[in-house]
Amino acid sequence: MIELRNVSKSFGENTILRDISLAIPAGQTTAIIGPSGTGKSVTLKHIVGLLRPDSGQVLCFGTDMASAPEADLYKVRRRFGMLFQDGALFDSMSVGANISFPLVHHAPEMTEAQRREKVEEKLALVGLPGIYDRPTSSLSGGQRKRVGLARAIVTEPEVVLFDEPNSGLDPITSDAIDALISEMKEALGITFIVISHDIVGTINVADHIAMLYGGNLIAFKPTKEFVQLDHPIIRKFLGRNLILPEGPNDVARLPGLE
Amino acid sequence: MKAVSQALAGIGQYGFWVRDFCRAVVIHGPPKGQTLNEAFRIGIKSLPILLIISGFVGTNLALQGYNAFKPLGGQRLVGMFVSLAGVRELAPIIAAAMIAAKAGTEMASQIGVMKIREQVDALEVMAVNPLAYLVAPRMIGIMLMLPALTIIAIFVMLSAAYTVSVYQLGLAGHEFIQFAQESIEPIDFLYGAIKAMIFGLIICTISCFFGFNCGKGPEGVGQATNRAVVTSSVLCIILNYFLSELLYGGAL
Repeated sequence: MIELRNVSKSFGENTILRDISLAIPAGQTTAIIGPSGTGKSVTLKHIVGLLRPDSGQVLCFGTDMASAPEADLYKVRRRFGMLFQDGALFDSMSVGANISFPLVHHAPEMTEAQRREKVEEKLALVGLPGIYDRPTSSLSGGQRKRVGLARAIVTEPEVVLFDEPNSGLDPITSDAIDALISEMKEALGITFIVISHDIVGTINVADHIAMLYGGNLIAFKPTKEFVQLDHPIIRKFLGRNLILPEGPNDVARLPGLE
Repeated sequence: MKAVSQALAGIGQYGFWVRDFCRAVVIHGPPKGQTLNEAFRIGIKSLPILLIISGFVGTNLALQGYNAFKPLGGQRLVGMFVSLAGVRELAPIIAAAMIAAKAGTEMASQIGVMKIREQVDALEVMAVNPLAYLVAPRMIGIMLMLPALTIIAIFVMLSAAYTVSVYQLGLAGHEFIQFAQESIEPIDFLYGAIKAMIFGLIICTISCFFGFNCGKGPEGVGQATNRAVVTSSVLCIILNYFLSELLYGGAL
């Protein structure tokens, strides 16, 4: 359904992704992890077609997002929902208007009452019933993420992507968001792609884990196997010992990785 | 050298951006129900400040016109001077500079903030074209409102100049009106409106362009806003010369 084939991407002299190949399993949750600056967000942006690779293919539902014209990109994107890091809610609109935004644009046949009913339903699902008319400025960080999540799922997409669902949240809200992801996967059968550097939360929600490091995909395994891997970078990451060399050029110097 | 190549690269980028914008509008069309909001924001909210500025430019036109013509004994020509300078040049350019300062900066900063907070990406991912959704209503709004504001500025400027000429400088009211009528024609109002529409086009595309190409963080938004107002007002003022040459060149 979603597959990256030999994707490479550079910004100027800075190589972000090197020959990444990755097939996302349908109906399951895949987490892409790695330290900051390793290309996790860039990978996600390739999947939704916000960035195009320098070489390689990004296949989503049979469309190559790397070369498809804009109209085809938009067709594929309607099957996606995405939660951005701080929710990316529109400040000028109320909570309800934010969540119904995709419906207004892509389901014009719905009446306003129908839209409202649907939005209220999604708000209840993310644990925030009754805030339809509130301005977005009155929301806390965790609430913004939940509203962003409600907006991402309001069109009942087949794939939902999360950009750092836990960043900047306190542990309790963070756990609540993780629990929400697990519940929704059970209830809706959606394919989830989560990028994160929060290892504990990731192990709890993900069926598969892909680890990026220095622009390379160093492992892609089911979670149970992933945590058993005897790879120095993964061991360090799992041990939450995040003192890792920064630049991509340092990768080669690490033991166990040629 | 570096500054020149940067400027040239910027012009090229702007050209491509305008092309993308035109294409987006042709394919997607402007969103429904946004344009009136934008017209209101641009027009009605800028009106009070426009009234004040154009009024007080009119007063000074009268004062300096009087000073210029008095030694020659031609102070009756104040009406003519005010009409030509005010109607043809100052009203359009003052309305444009003010809209650049008020609506243009608002466009650059709003879109810049949306850009750095990933709201522009969110629009893309929700399969809504950001150029058509964000820029087209602002463009229509400004092109409707700026000509209207220019015509209002003309009347306010002339009324203020008339008031100063007659009640402060003691000139004859009917002479002021007679010379004003002889020096300008109805077509001048149309030309003013045409100038205003072209200025609106420039202010909107430049401001939105800088908003969309905003750098990272709050500093990026500040810089984008600053560049938007400086670039668009300088461009309008330079272009005003060529437009006047083109529209009035033969008549002068």
